Amino acid sequence: MSDFQFRSGQEVVDEVVQFNQNLSKSVKNLLDADEISAGVTPREEVYAEDKLKLYRYQPSAGVVQNRTPTLIVYALVNRPYMTDIQENRSTIRGLLDSGQDVYLIDWGYPDRADKYLTLDDYINGYIDRCVDVLRKRHNVDKVNVLGICQGGVFSLCYTTLHQDKVKNLVTMVTPVDCKTPDNMLSHWVQQMDIDLIVDTMGNLPGEMLNWMYLNLKPFQLMGQKYVSMVDVISDEKNVKNFMRMEKWIFDSPDQAGEAFRQFIKDFYQQNKLVEGGLMIGEREVDLKNLKTPVLNIFAEQDHLVPPAASKILPKLIGSKDYTELSFPGGHIGIYVSGKAQATVTPAISEWLNERS
Amino acid sequence: MSESNSWTDQWFNAQQQFVDSWTDMANASNTSSQKSQADLWAQSFEMWRKASGNQPQPDIQQAINKCVNMGHEYFAMAEQVSKAMSGGANPVDAINQWMEQLKQSLQQFSSLPGFDINGVNDFMKQWFAPNQSWQQMTAAFTPMNQAAWQIPGMNASVFNMGETIDPLGKVLEAPGVGYFREPQEKQQRGIQLAIEYHQANHAFNQAFLKVAMESIQGFQGRLLRLDSDKTPKSLRELYDLWVEISEEHYAEFAMSAEYQTLYGDMVNRLMTLKKHYAEITDDMLRAMNLPNTAEVDTMQLRLQQVRRENIVLHKEIDEIKEVLSTQDAPTIEADTMQQELQQLRQENTVLRKEIDNIKATLSKSANGAPAAVVTSAAAKVKSRPATRKKAPAKKTVSKTAVKKTAAKKKTAVSKASKGA
Repeated sequence: MSDFQFRSGQEVVDEVVQFNQNLSKSVKNLLDADEISAGVTPREEVYAEDKLKLYRYQPSAGVVQNRTPTLIVYALVNRPYMTDIQENRSTIRGLLDSGQDVYLIDWGYPDRADKYLTLDDYINGYIDRCVDVLRKRHNVDKVNVLGICQGGVFSLCYTTLHQDKVKNLVTMVTPVDCKTPDNMLSHWVQQMDIDLIVDTMGNLPGEMLNWMYLNLKPFQLMGQKYVSMVDVISDEKNVKNFMRMEKWIFDSPDQAGEAFRQFIKDFYQQNKLVEGGLMIGEREVDLKNLKTPVLNIFAEQDHLVPPAASKILPKLIGSKDYTELSFPGGHIGIYVSGKAQATVTPAISEWLNERS
Repeated sequence: MSESNSWTDQWFNAQQQFVDSWTDMANASNTSSQKSQADLWAQSFEMWRKASGNQPQPDIQQAINKCVNMGHEYFAMAEQVSKAMSGGANPVDAINQWMEQLKQSLQQFSSLPGFDINGVNDFMKQWFAPNQSWQQMTAAFTPMNQAAWQIPGMNASVFNMGETIDPLGKVLEAPGVGYFREPQEKQQRGIQLAIEYHQANHAFNQAFLKVAMESIQGFQGRLLRLDSDKTPKSLRELYDLWVEISEEHYAEFAMSAEYQTLYGDMVNRLMTLKKHYAEITDDMLRAMNLPNTAEVDTMQLRLQQVRRENIVLHKEIDEIKEVLSTQDAPTIEADTMQQELQQLRQENTVLRKEIDNIKATLSKSANGAPAAVVTSAAAKVKSRPATRKKAPAKKTVSKTAVKKTAAKKKTAVSKASKGA
C-alpha cells in the first residue's frame, strides 16, 4: 500500500459536500413523490377464491397469440407485481408482446383464518382450479405453466401430479436441491424448530422472512444500497422506479402456517424433491414421472436460490424435452433488468411457441 | 409556494452551515472538541423536515428514514477519516488511525453491560444492523416478552456479568405452594424462559462483535495487500471496499456451524418463550370465560376441513350439472327407451303370432291341454309393464348404468321369447 493515492483533505470535503447535496436532492424528491403504484399492465380479474385472484393480462394488439394460455404461478413469500414492476421492466409485458396469453395467480395476504391451508390446498386445490378455469375459457386440454421461485416448486409438483393438464412447464429461479453448500437460507433453517415456530406463531410473519432476506447481505442491502441510491434518485425521474422496488422488497405477506411448515420441513430441511418421499395430499411427487417439456431458467448470481439448486433438475425429471437457460444476473435482475427484457422473456416465448 | 420556499430556504441555510463546518474542520488541525458533523447534519435535516410540514406516504417515509440513517453513518466515516487526515497524517496512516479508533470503540462497547446499539461507533452500527432489526422485529410480535422484561431488577445488563451472579437468586427455583401453585410455577417458568432467550440473544450479539472486530483487521490486511491501482482513492471507494470486506467476513460467519447453532437457538428460545406466554394468556381468557387462541385454532381447523369437503362436493355437483347440461344424457336415455320399445314391439308381434297360432289350434280341437301354454305366455306379458315402469328412475345414473339396464332388458326379452 506504499503507493496509496487518496484524495487530499479539501477533495474529501468536496466529496462530502457533493454527497450531501445529492442526498438533499434525493430526500426532497422522495418527499415530492406521489403514491407508488404496483403493476403497470392492464389486466382483468377472471376468477377469485378466498384471497386468491386470477388475472388475465390484456393481450398486446396486433400480435399473433399462442393458442395455449400461460399461467404464472408466483411465490407465496413476495408479491407478484415484481413481474410487472414498470413499463420498460415487465416480464409480463414482454410475454404479451411476444404472443403469449398471460394469466397470473395473486395469492393475496393470508391471515390467521388461512393458517390451516396446506401445500395440498395450494397445489391440488387453488392451482388446479385456476388451471381448470383457463382450460375452460380457452377450450383446451392443457395449459402452459410458468412457476417463479417457490411458485416454481409448486409448479413442478403440480405438473408431476397433473400432467394431463400441463402442456409445457417453465421454471424460473426455482430451488430444487435445497441443500447445496452455498445456500445460506437453507443453512440457517436447519436448526430451527419449525413445528415450534408454526405452533407458536400460527402464520409466519412476513417481517421474519424479510429479516432473513435482508440479512443474507446486510451491508449491501441495508447500507450500501441507500448510499448508492443518493446518486440515482437525486434525479427525480428515477424516484418512482426506486420506490417501486423498495415497496416490493418490504412487501412480504405472512405465510399460511401449515403450508410454511411443510415447505420448510419437506423442501429445506429434508430436501424431499431430491431425496424422495414428498407427499402432496395423498399423492407422492416423484419427479421421474414428470414427462412434460421443461424450460429451466436460473440466475448465475442468485443469492437466494443458488444456480446449483436449480441445475440439478434434469437429473431428477423423466422429461426428454429439457432446456436450460442461464442468466448472468441475480434473483431480482432476472425480471427487472434491461438485459432480462432483451434475453429471458423472448427466450421463454420462443420456447413456448415452438411447442404449441 | 411561498411556504415551500420558506422551508427550502431553511434547508439551504442549514446546508450552508454544514458546508462551512466541514470546510472549517478540514482546515483545523485540532478538531477533537468540535461537535460531530454527522450529528449536525442529522439535526439540520430534522429541522428541515419539520419545517417542510410534508407528510409523505409510509413507504416513502421509510425510505427517507433509511436514507437519513445511512447518510448519518456515511458522514460519520467521512468525518473520522477527515479528522485523521486533517491531523497531518498521510492517507495510509489516517485510515489505519480510523481503523484503530473503530477497534477501540468496539472493545469499549464489548465491555459495557447489555447490548445497547447506541454505544457503538456511528459507522460501525452497520455491523449490528442484523441485531438491531431483529430486536425491532421481535418487539413487534412478542408483547408478552416485553411485559415479562419489565420485572424490577431485570434488564439485559445481567447477561454481561457472566456466572458471577444469579440475577434472581433462588426465586425462580422456589416451589409453588397452595391454591395458586400452578399459575406461580408458570410465571416462574416464563421468567426463566425470558432469561434463556436473552442469553441466546446475547450470545448471538457477542458473536457479531467478535466477527466485526475480525473484519476490521481483515480490512487493514486487505488494504496492505492491494495493488496500488486498486487502492481506494475517494471516500466512496473506501466505503465500497469496506462493504465488500465486511460482507465477506459476515458471509463466512453466516455459513458457519456456529451461526447456525446461535441463530437456531435464539429463534427456538424466542418461540418457546412466546408460546409459554400465549398459554398463560389462554389460561387467563379461559378464566374470564372468553374465547382463547386454542379454541379459535380448533374452530379454524374444523372450518378448513369443512371447506375442503365443501370444495369436493361442489366439484361433484358441477360435474353432474355439466353432464346434464350437455344433452348427452337425455338423448342416451331416450335412445335406450326407444330400443326397449322396439324390442317390446317385436316381442309383442311374436306373442300375437303365438296367440294366433294357439287360437287356431284351439279352434281346430276342443281338447283343453294347450290351456297351460296360454296361461304361461299371458303371465309373461303381464309382468313386463312393471319392469318398464322402472326406466324413468334411471335418468340421473351414468351412461354405463343405462347401457347395463338396456342389456338386461334385452336378455329378459330374449329369455321370454325362448320360453314362449
